[in-house]
Amino acid sequence: MAARRAAPPFRRVLIANRGEIALRIIRACRELGMEAVAVYSDADASAMHVRLADRAVHIGPSPAIDSYLSIDRVVKAALSTGCDAIHPGYGFLAERSAFARAVEAAGLVFVGPPSGSIQALGDKLQARGFARRAGVPVVPGTLEPARVDRPDEVASIVAQANEIGYPLLVKAAAGGGGRGMRRVAAPADLPAALAAGSREAADAFGDGAVYLEREIIPARHIEVQLLGATGGRVIAIGERDCSIQRRHQKLVEEAPAPGLAPDERRQLHVLAVRVASAAGLVNAATAEFLRAPDGSFYFLEVNTRLQVEHGVTELVSGLDIVREQFWLAAGRALSAEAIAASERAVEPAGHAIEVRIAAEDPSRAFTPTPGIVRRWAMPSGPGVRVDTATAQGDRVPPDYDNLVAKIMVHAGDRPAAIGRLRRALDETEIAGIQTTLPFHRFVARHPAFLEGELSTGWVGDWWDGPAELARATGPALLAAGLDALGHGLATSPVAAASMPPAEGGWPGAGRASGTDRWRP
Amino acid sequence: MAAMTARQAPGVDRTPRRDPGPTAAEEARIVDPRAVRVGVAAPSGRAGGEAIVIEPPEVPLAPAPHVVGTGILGGISAESIALAEAPDDDDGIAIVDGTAVRARLERLDDVHGVLTVLGDAGPVRTPVLLLPLERHAGPSSGVVRREVVVDGWQVEVEIESERRASLRERARRGREETAHGGPTHVRAIIPGRIVSVSVVPGDPVEAGQQLLVVEAMKMQNELRAPRDGVVSSVSVGVGGTIEVGDLLLVLE
Repeated sequence: MAARRAAPPFRRVLIANRGEIALRIIRACRELGMEAVAVYSDADASAMHVRLADRAVHIGPSPAIDSYLSIDRVVKAALSTGCDAIHPGYGFLAERSAFARAVEAAGLVFVGPPSGSIQALGDKLQARGFARRAGVPVVPGTLEPARVDRPDEVASIVAQANEIGYPLLVKAAAGGGGRGMRRVAAPADLPAALAAGSREAADAFGDGAVYLEREIIPARHIEVQLLGATGGRVIAIGERDCSIQRRHQKLVEEAPAPGLAPDERRQLHVLAVRVASAAGLVNAATAEFLRAPDGSFYFLEVNTRLQVEHGVTELVSGLDIVREQFWLAAGRALSAEAIAASERAVEPAGHAIEVRIAAEDPSRAFTPTPGIVRRWAMPSGPGVRVDTATAQGDRVPPDYDNLVAKIMVHAGDRPAAIGRLRRALDETEIAGIQTTLPFHRFVARHPAFLEGELSTGWVGDWWDGPAELARATGPALLAAGLDALGHGLATSPVAAASMPPAEGGWPGAGRASGTDRWRP
Repeated sequence: MAAMTARQAPGVDRTPRRDPGPTAAEEARIVDPRAVRVGVAAPSGRAGGEAIVIEPPEVPLAPAPHVVGTGILGGISAESIALAEAPDDDDGIAIVDGTAVRARLERLDDVHGVLTVLGDAGPVRTPVLLLPLERHAGPSSGVVRREVVVDGWQVEVEIESERRASLRERARRGREETAHGGPTHVRAIIPGRIVSVSVVPGDPVEAGQQLLVVEAMKMQNELRAPRDGVVSSVSVGVGGTIEVGDLLLVLE
């Protein structure tokens, strides 16, 4: 172990990402004694990942397609700064096999699975084929791309869809994060969904191939964190329940998945390892499954990258997954810590929950709400981890993903973790942009969540955004009105516009005696 | 759930009485000149801009009887309370839409406040953030815009003198009687980039028909016609960047 400390896995690493995940990786680099090189677009010139890196390279204008998605510019930035490895984070180029290939061709190390594995597993259709051949059950659906560009093929697509049954999902073969995905409730909606899904997939991934999959509802989304070493050994570090989603994008994740018996957990881990081993997985990846109401697991896909929600597994397992990624990328065998963590994975101790604070309005179907953050205070204290690259005064640009913070809590068991989550969210202050914070406050208090009743339909089943907003609007109007009365707004509107700090609730009201005087 | 009680506090959730216009009784009631009208700012993209009117307690000419309990104080004076003689726990009364409500806002600093509302189940404290908003409806309009955050909800409010607001409303009603059914200006409610525009000036459209697609944060959002009409102008083109409030197109 002393040798490890003496020589870090790499000397200098380029992080081909932005936001909180770039920070997460920069931190791992620092802790391992490696230099971190950031890349940034025009929109991110003063972003936190730029400030925290040892060096930063400007790679283009704000639109991702000309900056963070430019393979050429990212690889050039790594070469020009003398990096020996590139960590892609998640999103952007993380699952583009062409990117991994370009990194490898440039003589650099790609911190993630080799390009061959990304291609084999990253293509959802190929991955489904892999799982089938490995004897792992897959969600019923098609195994070939739907020819949306060929009007003469429409009839055959409709016939396949009828066989699968409705409701079904149109999914992007190159997909991830729900982009390119469309839910189809009836045959009449299929052509439009295929066109829209394909268009979004083409814009997001440069590949418009889509396929059909039966929608299993209610289902739980449960995924397994995997690590693989050169030489073929793959281990499971534990699973996460990520059922609470909107638009097929996760909002709340927890580890371990509540309510699984050790046998079920073991079976799930075995299925995940089997798919990944068959595809020759190296480095870190996640195998996603749906759990049907009868308890059976269906393989969905493998994400050949670090996941947004890797932190909850880190909290429960005690393993630093990014650190492991670097050692595995440097050709090491699985570490003793990783193997020990995998041995504990079936009967984990403790419970961790993550909520994704995203710049979205949960009263308007989670519409994006980019803007300036005018107030920003994150929770802290025992068992709280916050991964964010946002600070007060920052502009959340409309060009990128709208995740602004991940608030994670860790405690001895699930009820304690939920109590800790409620407490942490009470401490959280955000103004200037609407975020998903009120949704998470709702979840953390909801009886169904407390009972572990989780499903991918959870948001639709329980969340009434406009009603929840209406409950806050009354107190907000009252507070603003009382504050204005205290400043004599009506008699002096122009002076009131500047709103100096208040001295009290309103004239004559004794504020100094505190707020508890009405208590019995 | 403690948070629920806050939301059922009297006078807070009540249906406002703005429409269909004041009743005779309300007309007769004299609104305190210090009263303010508070509503949700219109362009926030959210529905439900219901305003409330808040007045300070009336100031009596003679000492009022001792007030027991809470609730509607009617014509009598919550008031002396605000004057020197009142017992300590009787302050914190406001008239919300004509009804006395035991509520108090305590400012902790220039951002933080605590709203305390006394409901049936006792006092409910709600932490609030109050921030000034730079976007005014105009420097001399007398409308102050603020951002208030409650339970993580960002609410943009407009505060105006009630006297001024009712004058303005009367003027608007007058205008509406003379001119009706004008053009609809369709404005951006999210910032982003225009991916496609499905209509050109002169196109008849039906309510719900797709007008254009805006991409924001990797999501493609379809903008649909708010009503039937004819497109009279389109102000944006494919690839253009839009901000909240930007004019997208006009429907006649």
